Amino acid sequence: MNSETALIAAAKCGSVAAFTELVASHRVRLLRFLVTRTSSYADAEDALQDTLINAFRYLRSYDAKWRFSTWLYRIAINNAASMRVQDTEQIGELCDEESGPLEQCIAVSERENLWISAKRVLNDEVYTAMWLRYAEDMSVTDIAAALGRSVSWTKVNLLRARQQLDAAMGGSKKKAQASEAYG
Amino acid sequence: MDKLAQQLREDANSIEVDVSPQLDARIRASLAGVRQETGRTSSGSTGRAPFWWASSLTGIAATVAIISVINLGEPDPEPAITQPPPQQFTMPQFTFKPKAAILTESLQQELDAIQSDLKKAEQVIKDDFDKIGI
Repeated sequence: MNSETALIAAAKCGSVAAFTELVASHRVRLLRFLVTRTSSYADAEDALQDTLINAFRYLRSYDAKWRFSTWLYRIAINNAASMRVQDTEQIGELCDEESGPLEQCIAVSERENLWISAKRVLNDEVYTAMWLRYAEDMSVTDIAAALGRSVSWTKVNLLRARQQLDAAMGGSKKKAQASEAYG
Repeated sequence: MDKLAQQLREDANSIEVDVSPQLDARIRASLAGVRQETGRTSSGSTGRAPFWWASSLTGIAATVAIISVINLGEPDPEPAITQPPPQQFTMPQFTFKPKAAILTESLQQELDAIQSDLKKAEQVIKDDFDKIGI
């Protein structure tokens, strides 16, 4: 029995300490993901708190055939989605994309962070699939499970997303070259 | 790993976030108050099965007993006797004798005569209905 399995078993019996230890390694990664999916850093923190609470509350329904991180991400995706819906209902389109939490958490550099570019060109679901694939190194099967989609849908959309991102990067490079050439 | 994948990973890691001590305390406090939901386990479902079987069987047995008691207590109903309808309710056959109108008087007089004939015919029909009791 590995440590994660033992911690899950203890947490299922109601041990908060075991659960806290179980999710310790996932918290920062989850928060980083939620920062990309919410409209403010405070919302991302709230979404993280809700995710962990829901995970603990429904831990007994966790099926060990899935990776624990996949299950956690599925809860986080749902929480982020409901939080975005609430934000849209409350403030409509007033949120300025340029000053979102993702932009605030990235140090200024010469090159634009690819996840900001991805946010511009990809829809929410495909963006999440890309994040899980390249930031979390999840398998396509796990991504499909986390998104509640088929494996073939996930494969096709990951490929398309890469092509879109490549095209967007090519466009921005050409713009940069053109602006350099014309001063 | 290709260049794009490498760049995506690096850019993801460059997003600086941290779980603050305040957030950590908030999460711990929330977790302490959470009551775990009971998942649907196989032991739970098998534990309930005998109860459902027992209640279903009791219900079926009670229904059968009630139906039996009702059927045994009551005598068989007598067959309903249907009588043919009385003859007087059958519609009588009327024989109409149409006659061609011959205009021998002025139109107004003819109209009066036709209306008078019509009244007489109505009276005859009424009398016929009275005879048969409708």
